[in-house]
Amino acid sequence: MSGRLSGVATVFRRELATVVRTPGYGVLAVGLLVALGGLLAAGGGGATGFVPAVVDLLLPTEALVPLVAVVLGYRALLTDTASGELAVIRTYPVRVGEYVAGVLLARLVALVAAVGVPYAVIGAVVWLTAAPDTGIFATHTGVDSPLLYVRFLAFVLLLGAAYVSLAAAVSALAASRRSAIALGSLALVAGVLGGDLVLLRSLAGGASPTTVPASIALAPNGAFRGLVFEHVIGVAFAPEGGFVSTPRAVASLVGWTLLGAVVAGATLAYGRRVDATVERVRRGIGD
Amino acid sequence: MSDGPVASLSEAARTYGGVRVLDDVSLDVEPGVTAVVGPNGSGKSTLLRILVGATEPTAGEVRYPGATGAKPIGYLPQRVPFRDGFTARETLAFYARLVDDDPDAALERVGLGDAGDKRVEALSGGMRRLLGIAQAGLGDPSLAVLDEPASGLDPGMRERAFRAAARRAAGDTAVVVSSHALDLVDAHADRVVILRRGRVAAAGPRDRLLDEHGAADVSELYRAVIGESGASPGETDTGDGTEGDGEREDRDGEGDEDAEPDVHVTGVSDR
Repeated sequence: MSGRLSGVATVFRRELATVVRTPGYGVLAVGLLVALGGLLAAGGGGATGFVPAVVDLLLPTEALVPLVAVVLGYRALLTDTASGELAVIRTYPVRVGEYVAGVLLARLVALVAAVGVPYAVIGAVVWLTAAPDTGIFATHTGVDSPLLYVRFLAFVLLLGAAYVSLAAAVSALAASRRSAIALGSLALVAGVLGGDLVLLRSLAGGASPTTVPASIALAPNGAFRGLVFEHVIGVAFAPEGGFVSTPRAVASLVGWTLLGAVVAGATLAYGRRVDATVERVRRGIGD
Repeated sequence: MSDGPVASLSEAARTYGGVRVLDDVSLDVEPGVTAVVGPNGSGKSTLLRILVGATEPTAGEVRYPGATGAKPIGYLPQRVPFRDGFTARETLAFYARLVDDDPDAALERVGLGDAGDKRVEALSGGMRRLLGIAQAGLGDPSLAVLDEPASGLDPGMRERAFRAAARRAAGDTAVVVSSHALDLVDAHADRVVILRRGRVAAAGPRDRLLDEHGAADVSELYRAVIGESGASPGETDTGDGTEGDGEREDRDGEGDEDAEPDVHVTGVSDR
């Protein structure tokens, strides 16, 4: 294994071991499973098929998955920074980029476990228990398939990855656990509601509704929702899509993920230099 | 043994919140044990953090002309920072994998061979510190920087920690320790740097400094340079691994006494 990959793999192993030994993350996954099960039972869609189940889960997913992802990521990089262990790690031949990549990859694996498994269990339950419901199928023109649910799950994980990465950036920027919680909450609210509010404001300001498919994809939640409508729900009842530009939506989710990683890496790599520069300026003003 | 310095600080300065905690420090770190002593708030930890690159100086520069290898610098922070939930062996194994070293051999070197399966949070303060020293020595660095390796330990453990640190200073390896344990500095240090209010008050080979100040040992030298008001710096040792004043935590994990230069503890600080 090359040096860089070895550094990433070593950090990844340590971070994954930390996640596995943190019981709270298991509780989080169980809580998500219970919440999803409850929502499905209340909505009734799970009893009739995958697409109705997705319809029931779509809106809660836009809040629950970002929430779980932020919980998984908001302390990812803060732990070593706050304890002082990052200063020790940086005396070893592992670059900041490798360190961030290792931590982030481990947190993404944790996301797959904490979010992917509950959603997969729900999918399995729907598969085993759903019975045809004429009324619901009439609504959805009769197309249903486990493949649609697999697509939904993939989009869920893409959405979660974007929020884990953004939360990791928050954890690099935060000075303490308290500020990480505050910044993480802010990122969560901005991510979940911000895109839609901006879109509504632009429409109210006279923007053409034809721009919606393009602009909705810019925010992570809008991109996710668009993809689910385009490739899961829309498949069942609309021969023509047009809810969102698929390449743009996928690029948006991947882009948010990369942005989080880059911000986290840059913060750790240049934070000390920026801090020293601020001190120089402060000293210069004081003198 | 190499003639040149392993590391070199040139007119290094650092401020926190506009307050100068280290000022115009120039220093060559040569092979052997260099002890940095001084009252609380004198800038010891900041100096060491600048030396290892953990803190960026606001002025001046640090160079490493003699620090070579895959891991040129080993560092033990004042507060040993290892993650809970991992055993001592697992903790060292993480670092050892980064430099292809043997964690068990490192544990043996500091006398923790039998404690490898203990979780970090179950280790005593002294054992954690020894674990930190073992970590700092992984990869055989040319420069080992140990911030208070003997802090908060009982006499036997202090001696053991210092001996483990001094053993590293063989050949071309330079070991820099900050300490309030002047008896151990006297026993193990080749060179002494005395800081006062962020500046170097005296620096050089221990024997030369003792001669110049007519001191019998480092404690007398310390009193001669810092003055009686400086008292014995060891008086602040609270026994829990932390210093008696000025603990400040900032985002870079810089829990050091140097960040609050104006703290006054009667009979301890020189202010």
